[in-house]
Amino acid sequence: MSEKKPVIEFKDVTFWHGGGNEKPAIKNINLKIYEGDYVALLGLNGAGKTTLQLCINGVIPNSIMGDFEGEVIVYGKDTYDTPVREMAKMVGMVFDNPEFQLSQMSVAEEIALGMESLGFSYDEMVETITEVLDIVGLQGLEERSPFGLSGGQQQRLSIAAALAMEPKILVMDEPTSNVDPIGKEEIFSVAAQLNREKNMTVIMAEHEVEVMAAYANIVIVMHEGEILLNGTPEEVFSNVELIQKLGLRLPQVTEYAHRLNQLNLASIKKPYPVTLNSAIERYKDIL
Amino acid sequence: MQGIVIPISMVPGNSAIHRMNPLPKLLWTFGILALSFSTRNIAVLGIAFAIGLLLVFYSRITSAYLRVALILFPISLTLITLQSIAPAFPRPWTTIAAFGPFNIYQEGIYSGISLLLRIMAMTTWAMVTIMTSHPSDIFTSLKKIGMPYVLNFILVMTLQLIPILQNEFGTVLNAQKSRAMKGSGFGAILPSMVPVFVGAIERVQQLSISLESRAFGSTGQKSSFRQVRMAFSDYFVMALGFVTTGLATYWVIIDKSLDWSKSMTFSPIFAVSLVLSATIGFLVFVIFAIRAALSA
Amino acid sequence: MEPIIKVENLWHTYPTGNITALREVSLNINRGELIGVIGQNGSGKTTLVKHFIGLLKPTRGKVFIDGEDTEPLKVQQLAAKVGYVYQNPNHQLFARTVQEELEFGPNNLGVPKEEVQERVEQAIKFFGLEELRYLHPYRIGFPLRKLVGMATIYTMKPDIFILDEPTTGQDNITTQKVYRLIKKLRDEGATVLCVAHDMILLSEVVDRMLVLRDSEVIMDASPREVFSNNEIMASTHLAPPQITSLSLNLRKNKNKLDDVVLSVDEMLALSKDSNQKEKI
Repeated sequence: MSEKKPVIEFKDVTFWHGGGNEKPAIKNINLKIYEGDYVALLGLNGAGKTTLQLCINGVIPNSIMGDFEGEVIVYGKDTYDTPVREMAKMVGMVFDNPEFQLSQMSVAEEIALGMESLGFSYDEMVETITEVLDIVGLQGLEERSPFGLSGGQQQRLSIAAALAMEPKILVMDEPTSNVDPIGKEEIFSVAAQLNREKNMTVIMAEHEVEVMAAYANIVIVMHEGEILLNGTPEEVFSNVELIQKLGLRLPQVTEYAHRLNQLNLASIKKPYPVTLNSAIERYKDIL
Repeated sequence: MQGIVIPISMVPGNSAIHRMNPLPKLLWTFGILALSFSTRNIAVLGIAFAIGLLLVFYSRITSAYLRVALILFPISLTLITLQSIAPAFPRPWTTIAAFGPFNIYQEGIYSGISLLLRIMAMTTWAMVTIMTSHPSDIFTSLKKIGMPYVLNFILVMTLQLIPILQNEFGTVLNAQKSRAMKGSGFGAILPSMVPVFVGAIERVQQLSISLESRAFGSTGQKSSFRQVRMAFSDYFVMALGFVTTGLATYWVIIDKSLDWSKSMTFSPIFAVSLVLSATIGFLVFVIFAIRAALSA
Repeated sequence: MEPIIKVENLWHTYPTGNITALREVSLNINRGELIGVIGQNGSGKTTLVKHFIGLLKPTRGKVFIDGEDTEPLKVQQLAAKVGYVYQNPNHQLFARTVQEELEFGPNNLGVPKEEVQERVEQAIKFFGLEELRYLHPYRIGFPLRKLVGMATIYTMKPDIFILDEPTTGQDNITTQKVYRLIKKLRDEGATVLCVAHDMILLSEVVDRMLVLRDSEVIMDASPREVFSNNEIMASTHLAPPQITSLSLNLRKNKNKLDDVVLSVDEMLALSKDSNQKEKI
């Protein structure tokens, strides 16, 4: 395999939030993420997932007060001295509260907001709006108020608004935590589709480990500002004891494998299965 | 989901006024505003008010207009009550009738009526403009004539926040009721304000990060998605508005004969019954308002 | 025994837009039941539970709480029997300290001073809030703030707890804590209704599920029955827990409900059984 260049690289990054916090929110982060990766970011509340994500588009250290050490390089650019308008063209962000990201009177204007700031022409905007609404499946809602949409639709609108600037990376911070099951399904499937069909790099913080095990090719486990595990879902989730000690959930089929071994009911070899399909394969002969 | 209604918002329609660009409408409204502040002449203000009402009927926004006017009008009636006993006019004042310790003055009645008409004329025209234009179009027009981009955003956002906070306030009030909150009125409402404000602050913080991530606020050339076109008729109406209101304002300022404050005299019976009915009208409104607030 | 919640042919239509949010709902809930209420947003589940505390009144039909018709009762009166914990704790909290927050409800109910203090002590112990007692609620992180929200209702000692999305936005440690607390509430004799999308909560904690879709209760059954009903699961866009799906895929007898598991523990028990059978 040829040497791939990472699209995101963290070099010894440490960040203290302003206001005299002694403990850094993230510390000594070294991380490489490659084009087309789907990265699941796991960790308890306060583990540093959001801080790490905000470093990717330069909001940290450029807009949020604090002490920043190290370097974050995105597509060869140092986030420290790259203006927001440049970063927005590379990195799209979606946050956990669907409604708190919206401000405009119509869906079309919401998507146009960023493009207006970048001085897109009217024709470009109309074309892009149609295109991104198509991708997220909100065709025909152009004139609706963003605040009248369902949570899942609002999140997809936020994705569309980010996509309008044609980013190569989509960073999502617990995007499904405030939406109902149908909304979750919609958001996960849009993200997976972007990753698969457009080769977009996706970095998603999420509590739903079973879903992440199915979609992500990289799982990162954070704890108290540090990255403790980084690898494929099978590799990471096979560290059953560490993950449980941190208070995190495992995919149920993985936990099952571990406990079958513990009780001497079977001997399942590592790496353990993490998805339903792989579990059906592995377990069908045991049961 | 509960329906949220902003009292003053666009009433969809397809009248010629609806189809018009917001700029001529805004110009007319500002023209009427200037005219109303330049005169106290009852006839001029009355005509401005009457034309405003005609536009309300013509653009078929009557019921939405009345919802606002029926609140505004009784409150404005206090102007007649207050002005009649303490006119905003240079002395000497001419007494028409005496009410115990209070005197009702000729200048007061005149001033009360003209202030009432002034308020009604201005608000009627403003409501015609707001109720027949899409808010985005108004903001885009304002942006076009030089309103700063960020200020424009703040206005749009504020307009959006009002119904959201209203809804949020309802939720919080229900949450407090579920904790057996006693009493009503201000003492009960105060605790509910805290969560609404905290929520609003959190919302704004999150929004600012989200907007920044979408390149909002970056320097450089901006463009506008919403297009408002000016048709020939719009230019015509605008020019007409500029000339008409401009000339009318000029005329009311220089023509001293329009000062009817002394020449237009009121009979004592008219004056007393006007003041009484204005006061009663206002009090009835207050009673209704309190009852509505208590039952909610 | 008289059911603690009795719903008779309940309809609800919202005045704005004439939207029917509930259609012909009839059900009984007994004292001490632990119930999950599920459905998409807009399916009517919030509308249904709001009737139990009087925030909404039936358009048609009746709702009885502990034998009493809710129609003439105010929310403030029903609050003595029914506690409603909001999804977002920020909607409930406003006082300067957790202590004051906990006193607010029982004070409103006219509980004597000493007893209020006693209840506050109990609540602090029950929810493990010892260290937060004198803190401002907004200085407490979201996970614990949510527990404070539950505790403010706990001090009112209602017979019925309605918990709106008690685990949403929580990480696993707090979620596990909430599961334990919910079970403990039931063990103390309360009736608990969880309006939730959290599939682990529904499979491992509740005994009975009410499934709503398009303003109707389309299924009222045990989690095992609900999760093994493919049709219901697909039409409501719900996915069973991973381990349940595994058992559904691996079970040999497609009609045997006992082979559907709701937790890893149950799956292990099943594996043990089959292991032993093999040895015999």
